[in-house]
Amino acid sequence: MTPAQVPIVAWLLFLAPISAILFGFFILRPLKPEWTHWPILLSCAVVAVASVALAARVYADGSFDLNFYRWAAVGDWGVDFGLRIDGPCVAVLTMVALVGSLIHVYAASYMKGDPGFSRFFLVFHLFFLAMIGLLTANNYVQMYLFWELVGLASYLLIGFWYQKESARKAALKAFLTNRVGDFGFLLALLLILTTFRVAQFHIIYLKVLVLASGGHTPEFLPLIGGLLIWAACAKSAQFPLYFWLPDAMEGPTPTSALMHAATMVTAGVFLLIRSWPLIAAVPGLPTAVAAIGAFTALASAVIAGTRKDLKRILAYSTVSHLGLMMLALGLGQIGVAVFHLIVHGFFKAALFLCAGNVGHAIHQPTANVDEVGGWRKALPWTYACFLLAALSLAGVFPFGGFFSKDAIVDAALSRGGLFAAAGLLVSIGSAFYIFRMLFLTFHGSRPEQKGLSAHPHEAGFGFVAPIVLLAVGSAFAGLLRPLIERLVDGGLHGLPVSVGGVALQMNLPGSAMIPGFEWRALLIGTAMAAIGAGAAYALTMIDAGWDWRWRVSSPRLVRVFDTDFGWKTLIGWIADGVTGLGNFAGRVLDKKWWDGAIESTGSAALGAGGLLSDASRGRLNEALWWMAAGAALLLAAGGLR
Amino acid sequence: MSLLTALWVVPLAGAVACALSGRAARWTSLAFSLAALALSAAALRPVLASSGAGLALAGGAPGAFGVSYALAADGLSLSLVGLTAFLNLICVAASWDLDVSAGYWACFQALACALCGVFLARDLFLFYIFWEATLIPMFFIIGLWGSDNRRRAALKFFIFTFAGSIFMLLALIAVVVLHQRATGEWTWNLAALRGTDLGPAAPWIFLGLLVGFGVKVPMVPLHTWLPDAHTEAPAAGSVMLAGVMLKMGVYGILRVALPLAPTVAAAWMPLLTLLAAISAVYGALCAMAQTDLKRLVAYSSIAHLGFCLLGVFSGTAQGLAGAALLMINHGITTGALFLLVGFLYERAHKRGLSDFGGLAERAPRLAFFFGFSIMASIGLPGLNGFVGEFLCLSGIWQSSLPIFAVLGVIGVTLAAVYALPAYQAVFWAPEGPGSVSAKVRDLGARESGILWTLCALMLWIGLAPQPWLAALAPSLRGLVR
Amino acid sequence: MNAAVWATAGALFALGLAAVVLRRQMLAMLLGVELMVAAADLALVHGACRFSDPEALAAVAVILAVAAAEAVVGLSLILKVLRSGRGLDAGDLTELRG
Repeated sequence: MTPAQVPIVAWLLFLAPISAILFGFFILRPLKPEWTHWPILLSCAVVAVASVALAARVYADGSFDLNFYRWAAVGDWGVDFGLRIDGPCVAVLTMVALVGSLIHVYAASYMKGDPGFSRFFLVFHLFFLAMIGLLTANNYVQMYLFWELVGLASYLLIGFWYQKESARKAALKAFLTNRVGDFGFLLALLLILTTFRVAQFHIIYLKVLVLASGGHTPEFLPLIGGLLIWAACAKSAQFPLYFWLPDAMEGPTPTSALMHAATMVTAGVFLLIRSWPLIAAVPGLPTAVAAIGAFTALASAVIAGTRKDLKRILAYSTVSHLGLMMLALGLGQIGVAVFHLIVHGFFKAALFLCAGNVGHAIHQPTANVDEVGGWRKALPWTYACFLLAALSLAGVFPFGGFFSKDAIVDAALSRGGLFAAAGLLVSIGSAFYIFRMLFLTFHGSRPEQKGLSAHPHEAGFGFVAPIVLLAVGSAFAGLLRPLIERLVDGGLHGLPVSVGGVALQMNLPGSAMIPGFEWRALLIGTAMAAIGAGAAYALTMIDAGWDWRWRVSSPRLVRVFDTDFGWKTLIGWIADGVTGLGNFAGRVLDKKWWDGAIESTGSAALGAGGLLSDASRGRLNEALWWMAAGAALLLAAGGLR
Repeated sequence: MSLLTALWVVPLAGAVACALSGRAARWTSLAFSLAALALSAAALRPVLASSGAGLALAGGAPGAFGVSYALAADGLSLSLVGLTAFLNLICVAASWDLDVSAGYWACFQALACALCGVFLARDLFLFYIFWEATLIPMFFIIGLWGSDNRRRAALKFFIFTFAGSIFMLLALIAVVVLHQRATGEWTWNLAALRGTDLGPAAPWIFLGLLVGFGVKVPMVPLHTWLPDAHTEAPAAGSVMLAGVMLKMGVYGILRVALPLAPTVAAAWMPLLTLLAAISAVYGALCAMAQTDLKRLVAYSSIAHLGFCLLGVFSGTAQGLAGAALLMINHGITTGALFLLVGFLYERAHKRGLSDFGGLAERAPRLAFFFGFSIMASIGLPGLNGFVGEFLCLSGIWQSSLPIFAVLGVIGVTLAAVYALPAYQAVFWAPEGPGSVSAKVRDLGARESGILWTLCALMLWIGLAPQPWLAALAPSLRGLVR
Repeated sequence: MNAAVWATAGALFALGLAAVVLRRQMLAMLLGVELMVAAADLALVHGACRFSDPEALAAVAVILAVAAAEAVVGLSLILKVLRSGRGLDAGDLTELRG
């Protein structure tokens, strides 16, 4: 295959967003900033159609992996930029394009009238473009490029309302935490290039598989795998680097929706999918991934059940579900992980936009469970969509989440032990926190009864239509199961790539199989969801005061949850330590001690000069006397010799 | 007159012409800068096209003590000459509205002349003359047209770097004398001196060269002149100082120190790499504590040059190519940053982080360019900074001491820690009491044009660095261990 | 002959030196300098004839040129000081004091 044979839809994935952004930046922003969204929405439509067409092509076995141009080559290695269009790529890409486009549509209504409207849309679309680039990259360097671009765009969006100090802090926290994760990615990149001399995924897979079949793994492979997992933990908000994500809700709600559902946090999972042959080749690493995922999923599900801010509950829920994806990956179930990633994208986008509608109804960027309540009549559409998405999240049959989440729980049960326990507990926890949120927001007592005044009403069509589509998508996403299975399977086993003119076929590790409808899963999943939802009902509806009573009665416990079991405090100490080190180096060590010492040699010389200058009074004749005397002395000395 | 001679004579003629043309000096200066840029482009084109084949030697018969007029140019030299000419033009454009005397314009032309001479000379005596000649115009640029504390900064700059050069001169003389003793022939020609057996004096000679070049780079712990000099210099002066003059140090190490004493360099590699890694991390740590925007950029230069040295001392093809590319990249990126800080200072006469706030609204173009340059500076892939840093780190990773790459990557991580809070304080945070943001109007067409040029270059080199790498690599082939 | 020339040169030099060191009027000091230069020239020319060495003559030519230049610079400096209204007394010029 040559670049000329690349299908036009693959080019459109890049051409449409880039031209929309450039047109918006250079022409509309100065002239008609309130029109900036039109070319961008058009580009979204183009990307959505193109990605579906591309997925159809790949489904019919049209994957390809192609280098376009040489980015840099020095010494004995070179890095080429190209495209890799295969099953996992198009599966995630289609979800990103569809969900992302709907969020763009929502954002056009939500952000209307904001002074930064055009800036928002340009950066928002850049975010989208960066994710497309990340998914289609065919090598680690290119992926790193878009990985960082995703980070930059998220920084600008989280800090979009930069007048607020909390937004500035959250943006900085997100970027710096991701930077700490990139520390791992960059080191892994260096190691990969030193070890394999290329960065292209396909060649690396080949080398790893050939070496593994020979019975040995490259020396640095465990380190590479560990560093990549570290990087994924930052981007996909896993323990120990998850803490930036809950604060990231400071951005406008569409940002949160896009970030949690489609563009940012899925990048880490996708990196691990791409690196799976490397990680699977090292014994123990997959289990580590599963353990990180299970732990994060459980801990954040617990914290989500204690939060009061709607968007914060959803943020911890995202952390928890990403943990589930990691768990699935760690158990080798790549198909299941991709499936849940996609279903999660639909329901999480719907949930965030619902939260945005609730906030919009009280004219705030976000809402607190204390400020809302009993709104199912006032916001009927939002309520219906939220309910659908919540049922999907909780894994109730026959909604989308049932198929994907329960496949993960099923895999954990088959593995047994702590993973099984974690899977079951996360199922209960998910149902609990989402139904608690549902009951507190849409059922129960109205805010007037809590002493707050609010007259909520449903916002316009642009606020509702995208959510309806997303919620319906999340309800029916289970139907995608066979498609995704086949696509991932094609990615793992079917992608023929010619290396030096020789067509090569290889079987990558991991399973694409996604279990379908099973009675065991149905029973267990429904039971867990029922337990969680029942507990939520009991503690919010039957005993309506419980949710705030425990906060008053046990402030210790509140503190434990507020600091995420103390982890945030520890991170705060580390951050303070680094700042303190910088201050010491810059103000004391460099300025006072070292530069002071150097300057004091100068002062000493000046002091000596001062002594001499006091001896001379600057008289010309005196100076000449001394000169003559000196010359005489020299002559005399020469004569004596 | 050959092309190589013209490359340094044209700016020299420009300096004289500027000094004589009084009120019209800025036009004279513009004309000569354009001519110099055209010349260097003409010289660079065949090198870029044919992947780094060198340019002919413009030589002359050796005179007294073997001093000769020997010039040569390869990819490395010509890239730096091109950078000099380019940044000089940028400086002329950036200073266009300043109310300064003809001497200001003449000094910049003279500086360009001396810098081009340094990069082209292949006779060490000539090299040394050009090397010291750079100090004179820069001394005046800082001392006459700098900000409040300029005299002290100019003096510190001069004494510090001059003291360093003395060691370099002693080392050079020692090499020439040793060569004369061995062969009976006086020569200062670099090619002839290569391979001279330095005997037991070798470590001392290398140390002398290292001190001379290390001060200029600057390598920690020889760096303390830099923050003061940069802070007090006028904006265009900082651009030339950071953009080109610091590169003289790295260039000297690449061109003179490593070829003359390769065995010592190899033996000292762990120590040198350690110093380079310390520069990278220490510069970043110090930058975190700065409250003056210009000092912050100055310390970030120390960190970036630390990466550069990591690449140089790694002795691998990747590291050397990365160091060479990073020199160009750092010139462009830090040049842009210093210009932007200069524009701020021109408008408000303040540079402190806490003196501003809310500039993203008051001056959106300034905010955009500043953000863009900061991103290039902290090594966002896709922009130029990343390529050089990545290659340097990759080089050190493949050397015998990969552990220093970890330190380097920590430096990369820290870059965001100092740059972004500063950006937020100036552009995002609300205006505090005593803020001077009200005085800051947005960039005009001329200023925007300058920065578009620089930003376009950042993006271009970031996305397609291969032609540059291909042009630079052959010059460095001999240094790979 | 020989001794007479050396003595003349020496005397001229001593006179010049005395003028430079003892007088404080700047024109006189400049005259003293010129006198010393002339004394050196005389000695050099004599040496050149004596040892038939043309290099000394070349040196004399250079010194003559330098002396001329020095007179020009010196006189213009003195004029400049005079115009600045500070008189001709070298004792009043103390800028060199550290």
